[in-house]
Amino acid sequence: MNSLTQRLTLLTTLWVAIGLGLIAWFVVRTDERQIQTAADARLGSLLDAVVAAVAFDPAVGPLLLRPLADPEFDRPLSGHYWQITGPGGSQATSRSLWDSRLVPPLRESEGVRARDVDGPRAERLRLLERDVQIEGRFGRILITAQVAVAREGTDEEIASLRRNVILAFALLGTGLVAVVALLVIWGLRPLRRTQQELVEVREGRRQHMDVAAPTEIAPLVAEIEALIEQNRATVDRARNHVGNLAHALKTPIAVLRNALQTGDVAGARAQSATLERLVQHHLRRARAGALAGTAGAESTPLAIAEALATALRRLTAARGIVIRVSGESEARIRADSQDLTEMLGNLMENACKYGNGQVAVRVEQAAPGRVVIEVADDGPGLPEGEDGVALLRGVRLDEAKPGSGLGLAIVSDLAALYDGYLTLETSPRLGGLAARLHLPGRLATETHRGPEPYRGPDWPGLSAPRR
Amino acid sequence: MRLLIVEDSPELHQQLRTGLTEAGFAVDGAMDGEEAFYLGETEPYDAVVLDLGLPRLDGLTVLRRWRAAERAMPVLILTARDSWTEKVEGLNAGADDYLAKPFAMAELVARLNALIRRSNGVAKTELVFGEVRLDTAARAVSRAGQAVRLTALEYGMLAYLALHAGRPISKTELTEHLYAQDFDRDSNTLEVIVARLRRKLGDSLIETVRGQGYRLIAAGSG
Repeated sequence: MNSLTQRLTLLTTLWVAIGLGLIAWFVVRTDERQIQTAADARLGSLLDAVVAAVAFDPAVGPLLLRPLADPEFDRPLSGHYWQITGPGGSQATSRSLWDSRLVPPLRESEGVRARDVDGPRAERLRLLERDVQIEGRFGRILITAQVAVAREGTDEEIASLRRNVILAFALLGTGLVAVVALLVIWGLRPLRRTQQELVEVREGRRQHMDVAAPTEIAPLVAEIEALIEQNRATVDRARNHVGNLAHALKTPIAVLRNALQTGDVAGARAQSATLERLVQHHLRRARAGALAGTAGAESTPLAIAEALATALRRLTAARGIVIRVSGESEARIRADSQDLTEMLGNLMENACKYGNGQVAVRVEQAAPGRVVIEVADDGPGLPEGEDGVALLRGVRLDEAKPGSGLGLAIVSDLAALYDGYLTLETSPRLGGLAARLHLPGRLATETHRGPEPYRGPDWPGLSAPRR
Repeated sequence: MRLLIVEDSPELHQQLRTGLTEAGFAVDGAMDGEEAFYLGETEPYDAVVLDLGLPRLDGLTVLRRWRAAERAMPVLILTARDSWTEKVEGLNAGADDYLAKPFAMAELVARLNALIRRSNGVAKTELVFGEVRLDTAARAVSRAGQAVRLTALEYGMLAYLALHAGRPISKTELTEHLYAQDFDRDSNTLEVIVARLRRKLGDSLIETVRGQGYRLIAAGSG
């Protein structure tokens, strides 16, 4: 079942049915008992009247000295009966019993006994009976007095009570379910409006979402707004890139065409190289532009560095370069992992290319919210008198020659897209270049562990070099 | 040295075939992933050039299946996909080298030579056997300082024997590594090639091991 309305309504119905059903059952039972008790009390006083009037005449058997006040006992088969039973089965009954008799007495216990029996009209009777000892001329005589009244009245009372209670609770339950269903439908209305506006945005009929959303949904709407905005920015960037690419390609194509017409093979070759470099550059830019700031992206720098190290060891197997990766495994960087792989891949490849066989990658949290990845080598390092920052600032992507500053420029460019930056220093440990990539990030475990000292190749964070 | 080229673009496939044949390799080709997997699983190649975007079965899957079937020949991935994520994926799936298109044929040949050398446990590019020197990078052979011109088959046989120096190589193995699949194979031609190599480089370089094949004497410093 995939509808919230259906789910909530079903759950409410179930709960209301069980809950209210139990309460109704309890209420009905309590009231039934009360009605029965009241009826038994009335019957008890009738029995008392019979007992008070009982006498015994040896000639006729048990008899009532005074008739009972209620005329119903004299009307045949009225539903009100009494019967007294003396020794040897001698009996006297109310006139209402006519030619029938009540059930014989049980005489099994002291005091008043109550039970339900069948009456002369096959009606259900409530019967009370009690044993009485009478002092007579012939000693003590045991007489049992029975009084019975038809249950019809009581049963009707109970049935009507049950009907009323069930009706009341059913109404209450239906009302509750209806209210919940209404609440859900009403509560979800902003979502429906949001969806409607999204459709309009998608179809280009509106630019922004204008839903006045309640506080619970407002963040969602805001996020969707942000997503739309980001999407728009991405599309704009892509459009810009396509434009730039087209412009950048036009010149070399023109030159190439001329070179081909004049049979200038060397010129054609040079232009095709230029074209190739441009295509590479714009492909990378496009990739970066498309991925930059993608929502929710987070990547694990240590794992990425390890994977790159494994790949680079394969690529440089002939040179046997030792690549060490160490640092904070819990570090997370707020960047798409493909982009981080691209940045780190370029830095580590450079280190392999210009180093003399030693490359060390270290991941550290520099400050809360800031992760630094250092890629160091034992190569010649920064040229004498060169400032790393100035060096980077001087590099422009489309002017850089392949193999020289191009890799670093891509890294610097990508880092900037993620609100980060690249610095170049001299590595104090290996003596060559130390490229430090500063990016926004955090530790997955919120407990802050300070940067650990370098402990040599046996440190578990290091991966063993493979030849 | 026998190569498998897996490339689905007909033009590039033909260019690779021509270029690598000219460079002295015996070349088989596959145009889709399934054919590539079958050939790589059944034929003894010295190296494979593998494109990634292939019909029927993509290159990475082909590579993973070869490695799962314990086919250990060196594989060079040749692809237009040049992001580091893709490189890492390819290399960690079992590729030995990764070359992004567009590429220069000379670089591909150099990398293949290096791969084949490394897969045979030879680190140096130049192999020396007495007065005979074999430069595997330049594919050049000299005897006592004098350059010796060899045909593609002659060079192929010499290089194969040199990479396995000291071990007798059967005629069957030589045939499998010197000729492409659709080539008319005749083991008698091997004897002719050996005879020509002995004439050009000296009789003692290659010895005949009765019933086992040919062996290049490992006397030199490898």
